[in-house]
Amino acid sequence: MRTEQELQISPVVQESVIHNTKVLVTLRNLTASLFGIGAGILGLESYPGFIFYVVFSLLTSALVYALRVQPALARDPSGDAGITRFFKGSWELWTGGIFEGLSGFVLTWTLFYGLVRA
Amino acid sequence: MVLHHHIYLHTGGRTQTNLQHPIMTWISKSVTGLGLVLLAHACYSANEHSALNALSTASLSSTTSHSISMPSVASLPLDISIETVVAIFTVCLGLVLGTPELRPIEWRVWAGKIEREGEKGFMNGSGEVDVGYIGNPFKMLESRPGFVDIRKQRKDFAEWVREGGSVEVGSKK
Repeated sequence: MRTEQELQISPVVQESVIHNTKVLVTLRNLTASLFGIGAGILGLESYPGFIFYVVFSLLTSALVYALRVQPALARDPSGDAGITRFFKGSWELWTGGIFEGLSGFVLTWTLFYGLVRA
Repeated sequence: MVLHHHIYLHTGGRTQTNLQHPIMTWISKSVTGLGLVLLAHACYSANEHSALNALSTASLSSTTSHSISMPSVASLPLDISIETVVAIFTVCLGLVLGTPELRPIEWRVWAGKIEREGEKGFMNGSGEVDVGYIGNPFKMLESRPGFVDIRKQRKDFAEWVREGGSVEVGSKK
């Protein structure tokens, strides 16, 4: 979290924050349904299903880090060298939107579990 | 007179190539499509496997008098599991490749990016400039009108009055 003084010294572009969050949340929602399909096909039940979701969500974040954050940092060495250039904290990249995607995950999980094991 | 303020936030004026080519979206879409095909195949295979399993269980229980309590859902064959996981990973990769570029949230980094790359840095996948792109944040400063020379205007007006200026004279001028 940034203090008032730090924000005065290096102001934050609100549009960029909204844009980045939107990108991440859209990706999370899309992938959450996808992971639900996977968990349903694999026939996971109870905790393994949720662990599956968390593991693959973290994998998605890792892909975003490797394919979006890291190349941008390499292209432009000025400024913050880290996730904080694009998000307010690294937690926002790794766990942001996980709980928003959970409902979509459970929806497709149960659907495909029922479809495959008819 | 127009005052020209050129604010260079970053002195390293390297021009950089367009980051999101149309070919990138093409790659992303084809990877996603490939993953979806794999996923559909895995789903179909799993469905067939469970159907076959249910059928064999039913015939088994009908032949043998005492029904063996076999689990109706046998564990999935390893190849279908692997295919599912690979398919999910592939679709995931395609979706991540299709996401628009992230934007720097710090004002100085963001403004420097605009200064260096202009509109090219803010294109979406199909090569159009994003709707949210507002351009140079200091555009207002760079094109503001200069100061009004009020003394000169007063002198002009006084001259015009001295010449006995009327509306006609003024309009002739």
